[in-house]
Amino acid sequence: MKKTFLINDLVWIVFAALVCYGGLKLGFGSFHQPHAGFMPFLSALVLGLLALVDLISGIVNQWKEEKGDKKIWADIHWGKLFLTLALLFIYTVLFNTLGFILATIPLLFFLYRLMEPRPWWIVFTASLVTTGLFYLGFKVGLDSQLPRGFLGF
Amino acid sequence: MELLNYLGMGFSVAFQPMNLFYCFLGVLIGTLVGVLPGLGPVAAMSLLLPATFHTTPVASIIMLAGIYYGAMYGGSTTSILVNIPGEAASVMTCLDGYQMARQGRAGPALGISAFGSFFAGTIGIIGMLLISIPLVNFALKFGPPEYFSLMILGLMVLTFLTSTSMVRALMMAAFGLIVGTMGLDNISGLARFTFHIPELLDGVGLVPVVMGLFGISEVLLNIELKIKREVFTTKVKGLLPTLDDWAKSIGSLLRGTVVGFFLGILPGGGAVIASFVSYAIEKRVSKHPEEFGKGAIEGVAAPEAANNAAAQGAFIPLLTLGIPSNVVMAMLLGALIIHGVTPGPLLLSQHPDLFWGVVASMYVGNAMLLALNLPLIGMWVQLLKVPYAILFPIIILFCLIGSYSINNSSTDVLIMLAFGVIGYLMKKLSLEAAPMVLAFVLGPMMETALRQALIKSKGSFSIFFTRPISATCLIIAIVLMIMPLLPWFRRRPGIVLEKEDVA
Repeated sequence: MKKTFLINDLVWIVFAALVCYGGLKLGFGSFHQPHAGFMPFLSALVLGLLALVDLISGIVNQWKEEKGDKKIWADIHWGKLFLTLALLFIYTVLFNTLGFILATIPLLFFLYRLMEPRPWWIVFTASLVTTGLFYLGFKVGLDSQLPRGFLGF
Repeated sequence: MELLNYLGMGFSVAFQPMNLFYCFLGVLIGTLVGVLPGLGPVAAMSLLLPATFHTTPVASIIMLAGIYYGAMYGGSTTSILVNIPGEAASVMTCLDGYQMARQGRAGPALGISAFGSFFAGTIGIIGMLLISIPLVNFALKFGPPEYFSLMILGLMVLTFLTSTSMVRALMMAAFGLIVGTMGLDNISGLARFTFHIPELLDGVGLVPVVMGLFGISEVLLNIELKIKREVFTTKVKGLLPTLDDWAKSIGSLLRGTVVGFFLGILPGGGAVIASFVSYAIEKRVSKHPEEFGKGAIEGVAAPEAANNAAAQGAFIPLLTLGIPSNVVMAMLLGALIIHGVTPGPLLLSQHPDLFWGVVASMYVGNAMLLALNLPLIGMWVQLLKVPYAILFPIIILFCLIGSYSINNSSTDVLIMLAFGVIGYLMKKLSLEAAPMVLAFVLGPMMETALRQALIKSKGSFSIFFTRPISATCLIIAIVLMIMPLLPWFRRRPGIVLEKEDVA
């Protein structure tokens, strides 16, 4: 049994059921006067039915053509993955408060270190230079609206 | 004569200094993202979209279009020298291009790829000129049922051609339609699935979705891999193909161009499919099919011509019908709408400068690409040596800035991260992102067309089958849906493409 694909189909079925419910709450209307919930309901119905077909065909064929659970999840560096996501989440939350420059330098410092450990001063210099180049390119060159932060830059 | 007048107007627009600059910038960035694996034309276009807000719609579209066909050129360099396609449409070039490089013929491979691309791009533009006006006149007959059916056909073609599992590709298309319904309902003004978040009232933005699915997810996926790239270090010389190379390639170039152009026009088609199909055709018509995969120059010429011709052809449904035929065109549709231009049959009469200017700029851009790709090949090779440890944080930063600067909103960045995780899981589970994105973009248009058609027909679905254009599209879509169920079809090897990024 390849649990990954079983769970995948079940998740899609539950998701489709929730959207169908949401669609009905918004109002399906009728075929000659469709309301706001018409399209979400129909799309979710199609999604749910297709996921069911995929699930049944998977159970019947025992997911023979699919990769095994171990092959899918074996090589993942969970620590690196979650750390990257956590860094990006923290960066997004602090982006407006700290401003582009103050938020980006530590983000790049950690990302560079995470990808390939090198002496901290090299990584710090690289982070500083990259942030500076991006600031020049986007803020000065393209006039993008990057947040200034509490220090005003 | 009228066509020449229009073309003259197009060139006068394309040669304006500002437009020339944006065209150059577009093809330069396109070549760059084509060369660098990990950042495709879709992500690059979504990244640079906010940067075009300050310029004119014509310059903006000229630049974004340049990124697309520029990436087609650049992608071949990595395929030939590193055996890693810079973007999906160059996958087939790896097969023979890399083998040619190993045999010391990297120069002719790069040369035929660049000249072939230029040749196909030029023919593609002529095709655009000839087809666009008749198609616009034809499109004026389109009503909501025709638009709805054509969009269904586009989605069906995409799922049919690009997925190993059509059921799962259709699931992703349905998911895209659901995401597309988020925000205010176009007709009643009711908020749908916004979870009381004001930023979601306008719906989920295309740029955060695309950057998450194609940019962030790629980085997350590569964190777990230890990639070693072996760049071909011998000096690349003799870029001009020999007479013998030309004699072998000319037929392949012509066939690749024709196949690519028409597959580019097809809704759901595009450069990736065109390159796969043209390679298969070339192998079939060749007197020496056993040489394919071992360094046959025809195996480089045909897919390179096809992907460039398809890149040009794909503009036709967008500019004449207002329907994007693939994800890249969906990005361009978004850009046009942001600039207040509605693509469709009226574009030609309302914004002739934009239409003909963009067409002419492609010719200018193709000439620029020829100049960029051949003499600067050494520079592009050096770029390939940039380690991933440096490249990935930079890609992440591009994505963060790109998604933020659309609305200056951190919510968009969070949406991008969410879709990055979704895209990562989708890739792990072999679920296609391309049908999802195309359905997401077409969703609001499809919904409006469906509801208008049903209101018009008083709730009868027969309206889709009694009008000839609509009925034809739906019948083809149904045939495509049924075909994978037929035993003879399932036995045929290699008819289904296994490529996740159909841009």
